[in-house]
Amino acid sequence: MFENFLDSYAHSNAIRNVNTYFKVLFGIITLIVSLVSTSPVIPLIIFMSVSLIIVFKAEIPVKFYLKFLTVPLTFALITFIFMALFFGMGQNIFNLGLFNLSISADGFNLGFLVFSRIMGGFACMAFLGLTTPMTELFKVMENLKFPKILLEISMLMYRYIFVSMDEAVTMYHSQETRLGYSSIKKSYKSMGILIANIFIKTWITGEKSYVAMESRGYDGSFRTMNDLGNIRSVGSKNLSYLLLFEVILTYGVYLTSTYKIF
Amino acid sequence: MHIMEGFLPWYWCVFWYALAIPFIAHGVVRMKKITAENPEMKPLLAVCGAFIFIMSSLHVPSVTGSSSHPTGNGLGAVFFGATVISAICVPILIFQALLMAHGGITTLGANVFSMGVVGPFCAVFVWKFGRKMGLGYSAAIFLAAFVGDWMTYVAAATELGLAFPIPTFESAWIKMMLIYSYTQIPISIAESFLTVIIFEYIQKLRPDLLRRLNVLKTEEPKKPSIKMPEAN
Repeated sequence: MFENFLDSYAHSNAIRNVNTYFKVLFGIITLIVSLVSTSPVIPLIIFMSVSLIIVFKAEIPVKFYLKFLTVPLTFALITFIFMALFFGMGQNIFNLGLFNLSISADGFNLGFLVFSRIMGGFACMAFLGLTTPMTELFKVMENLKFPKILLEISMLMYRYIFVSMDEAVTMYHSQETRLGYSSIKKSYKSMGILIANIFIKTWITGEKSYVAMESRGYDGSFRTMNDLGNIRSVGSKNLSYLLLFEVILTYGVYLTSTYKIF
Repeated sequence: MHIMEGFLPWYWCVFWYALAIPFIAHGVVRMKKITAENPEMKPLLAVCGAFIFIMSSLHVPSVTGSSSHPTGNGLGAVFFGATVISAICVPILIFQALLMAHGGITTLGANVFSMGVVGPFCAVFVWKFGRKMGLGYSAAIFLAAFVGDWMTYVAAATELGLAFPIPTFESAWIKMMLIYSYTQIPISIAESFLTVIIFEYIQKLRPDLLRRLNVLKTEEPKKPSIKMPEAN
């Protein structure tokens, strides 16, 4: 399954052992810089540079990254086209000659800005998702004093998502071999049975594993082996590089704040 | 209805975060209370979350920067109360953002507000109102799931319309609602049927849990609870 893939990359990429705080700081601050930008230039630069880091520094296969990219890219493109066509009031720069549709300058600018912001923000998110295992992100949140019960439920949920995927694949195959999807009416029925059963099955499996954990002294906290380090162990050199990078980007946001294509 | 990362201007991101946080905080407190009283609720709570995750992963692209999918928030809201779902939506949406590039970190507040606050609150309201009007459990949960899903989309359309009020808020809102209704009405009806099936299953398997959550009436004649089948 797709998530399984992503999870395995998060556990085995080249910068897996870099301090988690460093990666989280990098991802989140760059995300915010990309968000506050009012011109498309800086988000696109962020998108390019973070993508380069993902592909060359973290050594995620380009093919996989591109495949991962298609989802947000389609959304961003649809958004761009929609906004360019319908969200403009200013003068028209291009007439489609079809259904009286035309692209206006401010619609185009707004659409392109949102397009670049989506891509920039997506790259930062992909950086976090592809280089840091979810368990470590949760550990960081725990150290930042997020409510414990919420994190506990999230960890259980994270496990159950994979449990239910497994159950779903098994059940789907057995339904298919019994011609459960041979007609549309049957597929609806089978799908209903499938999803209802996933719920029950996941619940039963989950309850069992919960009992198993509890009998081994589970007290609401998941302990992981590796040491995350802390914010100080990032090192002043790395921190100053990070700071420099973000300051340059912020200055770029300030410089290009009035830049528009049309 | 997940709004993409970077889609909203930053002031709207902050605004929706600020609006969602009180609900999340209340949900965490309630969650603590429920699990402290009955620790065996934890798996059910987590499965409801996983259910929402899976339901909202089955998406088709819809209005700009957003998508159409079942939400699955009605069931959990009826079981645990609306604000618990607000709290549980936070990790769900983080998972979806990081694992599937669906939704985002900065738009988390807005997404939690539509899927975790507006939807569940309307679902609980409809459930309570329906039960008071004398509807059966299945009919009430059907309506609750339908309204929970549908109101989530109304909230999402409002968020998008407020962020891009072009030419005016009303016309942007109507435009988005029109596109949403094409995809969302069939999806929410299908989701409601599914929710009913699941609800009846749980009612049959573990009526004791539902009774403890005050979903089923306590004075109902106690059926001997059926032993859980082996899961292999």
